[in-house]
Amino acid sequence: MVDWLQVLFNSCVTGSLYLIAAVGLTLTYGLSKFPNFAHAEFMTLGAYVGYFIAEQLGLGMPLAFLFAFLVTGIVGFLFYRGIFQPLAKRGASIIHLMVASIALGFILRHSIGAACDWNPLYFTATWPAFDVGSVRVTGLWLQLIFTALALSLAMHFLLMNTKIGKAIRATSSNPELALASGINVDRVIWIIWFVGAGLAAVAGIFRGADTQVWPMTGWDMILPVFAVTILGGIGNFYGAIAAAFIIGLAENIGVVALIGLGLSTTYRIGIAFVILIITLIVKPQGLAMLFRRG
Amino acid sequence: MQEELLRIKEVSKHFGGVYAVNGVSLDINHGGIYGLVGPNGSGKTTLFNIILGLHKPDQGEICFKGKRINNLAPHQIYELGIVNSFQLPRLFYDLSVLDNMLVAARGQQGDRLFNSLFLRGRWQNQEKELIKEALEILELVELAQWAFSPAGELSGGQRKLLEVARGLMAKPTLLLLDEPAAGINPVLGKKIFQRLKDFSHNGIAFFIVEHRLEILFDFATWIYVMDKGRIVIDGEPQAITDNPTFYAIYLGEE
Amino acid sequence: MGPLIYSCDIIVYIGIFGIVCLSLNLEYGFAGLANFGKVAFFLTGAYTYALLSQIGLPFYLCLIASALISAIFGLLVSLPALRLRADYLAIAVLAFGEILRLIMKSEKWLAGGDWGMAVSPIFPYMGSYLLYRLENIGLVFLCLFLCFLVVQLLTNSPYGRAMRAIREDEVAAEALGKDRSRFKAQAFMLGSAMAGLAGGLYAQYLQYVLPGMFMPMVTFTVWIMVLLGGPANNWGVLLGATLVEIFDRGTNIVKDYIALPVDPSNLQYILFGALIIFVLLFRPRGLLKESAIRTKALRLAHNARRAVKNKGSQ
Repeated sequence: MVDWLQVLFNSCVTGSLYLIAAVGLTLTYGLSKFPNFAHAEFMTLGAYVGYFIAEQLGLGMPLAFLFAFLVTGIVGFLFYRGIFQPLAKRGASIIHLMVASIALGFILRHSIGAACDWNPLYFTATWPAFDVGSVRVTGLWLQLIFTALALSLAMHFLLMNTKIGKAIRATSSNPELALASGINVDRVIWIIWFVGAGLAAVAGIFRGADTQVWPMTGWDMILPVFAVTILGGIGNFYGAIAAAFIIGLAENIGVVALIGLGLSTTYRIGIAFVILIITLIVKPQGLAMLFRRG
Repeated sequence: MQEELLRIKEVSKHFGGVYAVNGVSLDINHGGIYGLVGPNGSGKTTLFNIILGLHKPDQGEICFKGKRINNLAPHQIYELGIVNSFQLPRLFYDLSVLDNMLVAARGQQGDRLFNSLFLRGRWQNQEKELIKEALEILELVELAQWAFSPAGELSGGQRKLLEVARGLMAKPTLLLLDEPAAGINPVLGKKIFQRLKDFSHNGIAFFIVEHRLEILFDFATWIYVMDKGRIVIDGEPQAITDNPTFYAIYLGEE
Repeated sequence: MGPLIYSCDIIVYIGIFGIVCLSLNLEYGFAGLANFGKVAFFLTGAYTYALLSQIGLPFYLCLIASALISAIFGLLVSLPALRLRADYLAIAVLAFGEILRLIMKSEKWLAGGDWGMAVSPIFPYMGSYLLYRLENIGLVFLCLFLCFLVVQLLTNSPYGRAMRAIREDEVAAEALGKDRSRFKAQAFMLGSAMAGLAGGLYAQYLQYVLPGMFMPMVTFTVWIMVLLGGPANNWGVLLGATLVEIFDRGTNIVKDYIALPVDPSNLQYILFGALIIFVLLFRPRGLLKESAIRTKALRLAHNARRAVKNKGSQ
């Protein structure tokens, strides 16, 4: 007997995680025109910094999130400023940039592996688990959903009502025009890379706290996050919100289906892959048509 | 009475609600030399792209040698004998000038996977002939000495010449030329048209977009004038230059 | 393992990955297709070989089947995927590869799932590790030679010229009569066939297949080999395969003789990453630049030209 409320709740949890992770990816992909595979390692880095702050230094989760955001944001900015921007200036193709991001991912992942070795780490902090009606809920999951909601509202407010938000929207839709209107396009792009990487770090901590922290934490999630990015429309924040929840729903309903069909639940992650491939083949712009960014 | 080579009937194409080409009808006869003129944005390049199969017309019909070609892919259009020379050269910049010419050659046996691996003799002789032809054409446009250099090393004017030379190499029945003399100094431009005149004796039909009206009108035998997606007037060059509507169209633009 | 035997092992790997590099070179270097799911076709060939050899088919049929089945998968993938933009194609094929690996992991009845299955080698062990490796070197390099011959003949022909033209500007190439779908699909199928063949050789050499052997890392390694050596240069990518493989093994050897502050397997990937960034920044065309199209007729014409030049300068 399937508890559909639980499935719905779990979908919100999964969707929230994917959304936080995907915001940075979709914005940088849209602006810099290449898929940044190092985004996976932004998540991993965030998880490790978070673990270090919360568990090793015992400074608690809020500071963990803050430091992870800042440190990873800086790394993200440096990756862009130090490698991607120069490469793009030299006329590197999308594929070259993509390969560069994979290479940077290696460097980051194995630096972490070298510094902290490959044994998985587990957050010892506990979150209360309780039942709301028939639905099993944990404090961590509630925090995750709350963070995703807060992020969505904050981004919406930012994009619509602030000067920087308008600059971001202008740069996303027409960089040349934005430049001509006096917007410092370079600075906008730097900020996006910083914030995007920082948000990936936040997602990484949630993921690491929910499962485990090891150098592949980010990579384990990256393809579903790409699925969200593409389904939502590359560069489209609002599309990403919808896509994150669609994929969260698909995964969790899919698990029910898999169990019902007697298939292995290892296929769970494959659900996002299939959505990704179908989207690319049938409608590569994803849901972008439905969500004009204004 | 020879049937027309290319017949365009009431062809329209719109992009996002704006009609780039709006109910255009025209005929091209075998071996004729036609000009297409009009202000910028009047739809000339779009019309060419439709003929080439790069865009599908929303309405209307295009027939080549009596056969409907609306829905053919560009490579099929080429097979029928329609070849294009782009306004902004689309060369293969990493390939040599000679290789660029050879890509354009028609009926190459070596194009097929099986032949390229197992029946090499069949196309190697053909390639010798094609190289000879290519070098002759390159000689005509004074590019022969760059035959073995990458196309990327050519200057802007030379790239334009190669673009035109490549079109000629393809042995077209109908050659579409989109501003063949654009961005080239007048002397060279006149030279290009002289070469085209030489080629016209081979029975190729030309359809040329050109802003340098003096050069074009000296060469073409029939002119179509386009404005805002429609054919407004057409006739012999002399008749066009005598027609005040023609100047109104252009001056309205200036 | 003695140094001689170890060196032979390296040579076998260079041969096998050389074939995979040639296949990626055909797809990406010459046809411009960003195949980031290379490992999927390598996996297909390996598992095909494993399953068919298990039911007793002679080895040459198994190898041919590895190539054929991979080619069919390549064709199936190419039908929807080849008209995609480069980055979309890359992501789609990458995801496809992961799905395949996921299936092999989960369906234990197929080929042992995560635990994999044993593969009987073509050259059974006869008491000498060295002999085993030498025999495999012979077979692998025979296959490598054949593949090299095929790609060299293909790319130095009007067919190869058309393929490069499509890579440079597919709209212009199509307007000049080249059916880009045909060329791309054929390049992809042929590339997949070669990767499948290499997969079969790999399976029987290691005498085992399991999903963990076919991680995306394999695809990335081959990409590094191709980008380093020089895309669209068949000698170049073989050079790239050699250098990367030696580098890969070199760091492992060093581990036995020098105590490094960093675990070599981590250091190796860090250096890999740095290497590829370096290549992309400072030598994006690779060590050997794109090979010119050389057919008999072109060579004759070029020589004639040079003879005239020399006469003129006397």
